[in-house]
Amino acid sequence: MATPYDIENIGTESNLKVRGSLDINTAPALAEEIDRIIAAKPTKVVCDLSGLDLIDSSGVAALVKLYKGVRSTGGAIQIIGARDQPLAIFKLLRMDKVFNL
Amino acid sequence: MAILGGMAASIQLTVPGTLRYRNIAVRVVAEAARLVSGSVQRDPTDLLDHDVRDPFDLAVVSAFMEIFNNVAIHAYKRKDGGLIDISITVAERELTIEIKDHGQAFDLEGVAPLPTELDESTLPEGGMGIHIAKTMLDEVTYEPGPPNLWRLRKRLPAKQVAVGTSGRS
Repeated sequence: MATPYDIENIGTESNLKVRGSLDINTAPALAEEIDRIIAAKPTKVVCDLSGLDLIDSSGVAALVKLYKGVRSTGGAIQIIGARDQPLAIFKLLRMDKVFNL
Repeated sequence: MAILGGMAASIQLTVPGTLRYRNIAVRVVAEAARLVSGSVQRDPTDLLDHDVRDPFDLAVVSAFMEIFNNVAIHAYKRKDGGLIDISITVAERELTIEIKDHGQAFDLEGVAPLPTELDESTLPEGGMGIHIAKTMLDEVTYEPGPPNLWRLRKRLPAKQVAVGTSGRS
């Protein structure tokens, strides 16, 4: 199954673009990338969800892991571009305010 | 939209109870939801397009994905060998999905609620699936078996009238 993300590292900053469906089948690959991102202790991470069509609770868990991990190492994180079903899920879980969506 | 001349239509699908077959089931459920909502897929020729923008479709698909995950993980422990029987009833303004498995029963009452005050420190990393399903749908029931039976129901809201009926062109 295609990995639904692209990662671009520029200095101490990372740009992560997630696309397609982030779900129980695809989230594990992203979670591995998230481990690498957090280990690098980036000063800033931008997570672009504008290409993300569908998410389930496993996908949400992966993004929560990214958010907590980056913040715990003192980095800043921006989650941008959430729309349609993923935005509805974040709102339902009341994460839209925490993520500042 | 008329469903078989006003009669509810039944769709039966049996898939192996592993996550490998999840997307097949999700696509069937998404199409069934569209029959009720009257929504049109953005690009029907794009088999990889996960298009569930319509509020009704979005709710049904989001909830179903969580319950399928639950069965594959908790009932069948991510192992091969079990089957999931899915029965979808498409009615004029309502969709009912029954999901049956022969795996281990799930403790629905044991699911912890989400934190009432959500902030950075209390962001959950699990236990969200049942909450999503229950919040998205009008009815989510579970009868432990064997077979275990999930019943999901979503009614089309009054203000969201399906294409082909009054109120929406």
